Amino acid sequence: MVNFTVDEIRAMMDKKKNIRNMSVIAHVDHGKSTLTDSLVSKAGIIAGAKAGETRFTDTRKDEQERCITIKSTAISMFFELEDKDLVFITNPDQRDKEEKGFLINLIDSPGHVDFSSEVTAALRVTDGALVVVDCVSGVCVQTETVLRQAIAERIKPVLFMNKMDRALLELQLDAEDLYQTFQRIVENVNVIIATYSDDDGPMGEVRVDPSKGSVGFGSGLHGWAFTLKQFSEMYAAKFKIDVVKLMNRLWGENFFNAKTKKWAKTKDDDNKRSFVMYVLDPIYKVFDVIMNYKKEEIPGLLEKIGVTLKHEDKDKDGKQLLKVVMRSWLPAGEALLQMIAIHLPSPVVAQKYRMEMLYEGPLDDEAAVAVKNCDPNGPLMMYVSKMVPTSDKGRFYAFGRVFSGKVQTGQKCRIMGPNYTPGKKEDLYEKSIQRTILMMGRYVEAIEDVPCGNICGLVGVDQFLVKTGTITTFKDAHNMKVMKFSVSPVVRVAVEPKNPADLPKLVEGLKRLAKSDPMVQCIIEESGEHIIAGAGELHLEICLKDLEEDHACIPLKKSDPVVSYRETVSDESSMMCLSKSPNKHNRLFMKAMPMPDGLAEDIDGGAVNARDDFKIRARYLAEKYEWDVTEARKIWCFGPDGTGPNVIVDVTKGVQYLNEIKDSVVAGFQWATKEGVLAEENMRAVRFNIYDVTLHADAIHRGGGQIIPTTRRCLYASYITASPRLMEPVYLCEIQCPEVAVGGIYGVLNRRRGHVFEESQVAGTPMFVVKAYLPVNESFGFTADLRSNTGGQAFPQCVFDHWQIFPGDPNEPSSKPYQIVQDTRKRKGLKEGLPDLNQYYDKM
Amino acid sequence: MLYVIGLGLGDVKDITVKGLEIVKRCEFIYLESYTSILTCGKDEMEKFYEKEIILADRDFVEQEADIMLNHAETKEVAFLVVGDPFSATTHTDLIIRAKERGIKYQVIHNASIMNAVGSCGLQLYHFGETISIPFWTDTWKPDSFYDKLKANRKNNLHTLCLLDIKVKEPTLESMTKKKKEYMPPRFMNVSEAANQLLQIIESKKEEEDESLAYDENTLFIGLARIGHESQRIVACSLKEMKDCDLGPPLHSLVLPSNNMHELEKEYVQQFSEKPL
Repeated sequence: MVNFTVDEIRAMMDKKKNIRNMSVIAHVDHGKSTLTDSLVSKAGIIAGAKAGETRFTDTRKDEQERCITIKSTAISMFFELEDKDLVFITNPDQRDKEEKGFLINLIDSPGHVDFSSEVTAALRVTDGALVVVDCVSGVCVQTETVLRQAIAERIKPVLFMNKMDRALLELQLDAEDLYQTFQRIVENVNVIIATYSDDDGPMGEVRVDPSKGSVGFGSGLHGWAFTLKQFSEMYAAKFKIDVVKLMNRLWGENFFNAKTKKWAKTKDDDNKRSFVMYVLDPIYKVFDVIMNYKKEEIPGLLEKIGVTLKHEDKDKDGKQLLKVVMRSWLPAGEALLQMIAIHLPSPVVAQKYRMEMLYEGPLDDEAAVAVKNCDPNGPLMMYVSKMVPTSDKGRFYAFGRVFSGKVQTGQKCRIMGPNYTPGKKEDLYEKSIQRTILMMGRYVEAIEDVPCGNICGLVGVDQFLVKTGTITTFKDAHNMKVMKFSVSPVVRVAVEPKNPADLPKLVEGLKRLAKSDPMVQCIIEESGEHIIAGAGELHLEICLKDLEEDHACIPLKKSDPVVSYRETVSDESSMMCLSKSPNKHNRLFMKAMPMPDGLAEDIDGGAVNARDDFKIRARYLAEKYEWDVTEARKIWCFGPDGTGPNVIVDVTKGVQYLNEIKDSVVAGFQWATKEGVLAEENMRAVRFNIYDVTLHADAIHRGGGQIIPTTRRCLYASYITASPRLMEPVYLCEIQCPEVAVGGIYGVLNRRRGHVFEESQVAGTPMFVVKAYLPVNESFGFTADLRSNTGGQAFPQCVFDHWQIFPGDPNEPSSKPYQIVQDTRKRKGLKEGLPDLNQYYDKM
Repeated sequence: MLYVIGLGLGDVKDITVKGLEIVKRCEFIYLESYTSILTCGKDEMEKFYEKEIILADRDFVEQEADIMLNHAETKEVAFLVVGDPFSATTHTDLIIRAKERGIKYQVIHNASIMNAVGSCGLQLYHFGETISIPFWTDTWKPDSFYDKLKANRKNNLHTLCLLDIKVKEPTLESMTKKKKEYMPPRFMNVSEAANQLLQIIESKKEEEDESLAYDENTLFIGLARIGHESQRIVACSLKEMKDCDLGPPLHSLVLPSNNMHELEKEYVQQFSEKPL
C-alpha cells in the first residue's frame, strides 16, 4: 500500500484527534524492531514480503550487524479504520467525526539497558507505548524499568506478547500452559502498572486487559498478530452475540461445553477454556497441519480460515508456508494498528493530563493552557528531546514534539536550554528556525510547518542546544521539564588522541558525541584528561566507536574503564566544626551525619525533592524517617546541582541576618557536595546541620567572597570528622540460562564480589533466571567471563540499581577504599594523600 | 617590626611626617589595596617615597599575611592603609596575629572618612552606627542595614553610609572553581546607592512598614573624594540624588537626622540649591 505522501501527512497533522504518538518499548531481544517492521510494512514503506527480515528502523550499520537497536528512530504511518471498528472509539477527543484515517508517529527505541536514555527521550515525545514482551522469557528487568518510566511520564501502555512462534515450535507448550503463561505476563505487567499509578489517577484506568483488546498476541518475525477483537469478530456472527460481549468471554475463567452449548465459570470434565478452544486451538491446528506436512488437510484448512494463497506461494511448504498462511490470516499490521488507534490516547486526550508533568511554569499561564488544550492557535511550545546526526558531519537535527502552536520554517523563536530561567538571558537564544522536517526512519522530508500534537525535526537549532531544550514563541514561557533518566553514567574512560596534534579534533569530536547521545557525559578533568562517562560497558563501547569513526575521525588511546564513586559518612561528626571566613569576622559552626537508610533513594526517585512544599516534605520526613518536624522544615537545599541526595539543614536558634548569607552558604554547599573532600567525587546521603553562625555587623563584610569558601571548608571539616566512607555503584544483574549453567554463574559472581538474591525457573520452560547484585567495578568483562564459564549459555543484563558502601575506612592506608581514593586523586591530578583536617577546621 | 601606617584620604602627600620617615627606612612596604583607594596610583607613590611598593590584595592580607609577618620578625616592614588603620577598615586581625608571634608593631594614625565626614557640617557627636551599602546582584539583595538606618533616625542621629568598592573581587561563578576570575574594579556612586535605597523603601512599603525611615523626599548629603582638592558635597532629596553625578570615586552618603541643630543646618545649606 503506497498510501502516504508528505502532503497527505501534512493534511492529517491538523486532525489532532486522529494522531497517535507512540513508542515501542521492551527488553532487549524481545523483538521490537522486527515487530515495528511489520507495522511499517502495513503502512507501505517497505514491501510486505520483506517484513521480518529487514530491520527498517535500525538505520546504523552497526545496528544491523549486531542486530540490536542503539538509537531510537521515528516513523510516521497512516492507517484507516473500518466503520465497524470505529465504534470502539467512544471518547469524542479520540477521533474527528469525519475522519477514518489515523496518523501514527512511532518511535522504536533500544531494549538494551545501556541505552535506556534513548527510551526516556522517546517516551517524552509520545503519549502511548506498545510494550513488547517475549512470551517465552516473560517480563524481564528492562521491561520493568521502561514500563515504570512510561507510567511515571503518564504514557499509556498496551501490551504485545511476541514470539508465539517460538512457544509453539520450539517449546511445544500445550494450549492450557500457553494460556497460563499469557495470564502470568498480563498479571506481572499489571502489578508493575498498579505500583506506579492508580485507577482513579488522572490517566484513568491504565491496566492492560486482553478482554478489552489492549493486549495483542503473535509473532513479529512471522508477521502475524491478533487481539481478542479479531477472534471475537470471527465468531460473533456464528454465535449471534455482540463482539464486545464475546471478547469478555474469550479470556479468563470462561469455559464452554461443546456438547451442551453452555458457558461455565469453572472447569469440569466436559468443558474447555474458551481462549484455548476458540483462539489457541485453531492456531495450533494450522501449525500442526503445515509443520507436520499434512498436505491433504491444507486446502480445507485454508478455506476454513478464509485464506487464499497467491500463485507464487502455492509451492511453499513448512515454515515458509506457515508464515504466508498466518500472515494472510492474521496480518500483524492490521491487528496492531487497530489496537494502537483504539487504545492509545490522542494528543488531545493525553496533553490534558500530561501538561502538569511537562511544564515548569505556572499551570494557568498562556503556554500551560495552550499545551493542555493542544491548541494549534496558541503560542508555540515544543520540547526537543534529542539530537539526531545528519548526513552532514557534525550537524544535527533537533528532534522533538510540538505541544502547542505550530513550528514552521523561518519562524522566529526563543530557544531555551535546560539552564534557562524566566526573566534572564542565560541559555536563551532568539533565532529563526532554518527548516522543519519530517523524520521517517532512514529518510527525512522537508515540510512547511508542523502543528501541535506532532513529532518533527528542526534544522539549525543544534548550534544553540546541547542535548535538549524548549522552543517557544511566548516570551514569558518557562521551560518544559527536563527528563529524568533511569540509569546514571557510572562508568567512565579517559581518552586521548594517539597523535597529540589531533587534540583539537578530539575536543570537537567530544562536543559532537555529547550532542548525539542523550546520556553520555564528556568531562575535562583538572588534570586535562578527557573523560567519557556512560551507563555501561556496551554504551561506552558504542560511544567510543562513534567518537573514533564519526565525530573525531582520529585514532584514539583509551584507558581502562573506571567507575564513579560517591563520598558519604557513617557517623555523626565527632565534634562541632568551626571555620572562619578569610577576614576572620564570620564564623560557621556545623556537623555532618549520615542520612537514614532509604532517604537518598527517595531523593533520587523524587519522592522527596526540592520543589515540594516544605510543610508536606517535613511531614513526610517526620513520618518516614523520624526527623524533627521543625528541623525538617528548615532544609535549606539539596545538592549537588540543587537536587542531589545531600541536604543542609538550618538548626540555628535566633541568628540575625542569617537569610542574607543563605545564598552564599547554598553556593558553598553545592560546590562541596559536587566535589567531595576525599577525591572530588559527588557526596551522597550526607546531612549537614548548621548549628550557629557569627557574622560581621556590616553586610559588605559577609558577602559571597567571605561566606562561600568558608562554608565549603566547614562542610569539609564536618565531613572529615564524621567517619568518611566511599560508596560504589551496584548493578542488578539478571541472567537467563539453562539449569546446567547455573553452577558456573555462581562461580563467576563469587569471584567478582557479586551475590545472588533470587533464583527461579521460568514457568513452563527449562530456563532459569538468576538475579544478583554485582558491583559495577567488577562488571568489566563480566559478559565474556560468564559466557566462557557456562559454555556460552548464560546471557546477563545489568542495570544500575543502587549505591552501596564500600567496606573499609578510606583513612586506613591498607584498605581498598584508601587505594581507590589515591588512584582517583592521581587520575584527577590532585595532591596524593589524605585531606588534612587543619586545612578546613579553625580553632576558636 | 611591623608598622601599620594610615595614608589619609586625599593624595600621596597626605601621609604624616612620622609615617613618611618610617616608610623611607623600611625594607618592605606593602600597600593594602582592596578596602579603599587613593586618587593617585602606585607609581606616583613609589616615586614620592623613592621606594618599591608591594600591592597586597584581599587574598594576600586574609590568607597569606604570614609572608609579610615572616619579614617583620627580623626586618622593618610597613603596611600602608588608606585612611586610618583602625577606622572604616579594621586590620585588627593582622595585629592579633603579629602579637601571637611576638612581633612588635606600631600604628601611625591618619584621617579617615569616619572623621572627615565632619566636612559636611554635621556634628560627629550626633552620628549613630555607620553602615555599608553593598552592590546588589540578581540574587543577593541584602537590606539589613535599613534597620540600622531606622534605629539611627529614631534616635535622632545621623548615619554615615559607606559605599561598596570592588577592587579585585572574584566573580561568584569562579568562586566555586579552582581558577579564580576577577570582576573589573567597581565603585558605587551616590546615584547607585540612592537607587538601592529607593528600592528598599518600595519593598518596605509592600511589607506595610508603617513608619518608614526615610522617603524619596528625605534630605541626603552626598560626598565625593573627601580630603582631595576636587572634593564635592551635595545636599538634596533622595530622589534628586539618584540623578546626581559627583564624578570619580570614592563616594559616601549621609542621612542627616530629622532634627538637625541650627548650626548644622546653616552649614549644610551651602551644599543645597534649595532652602532647607
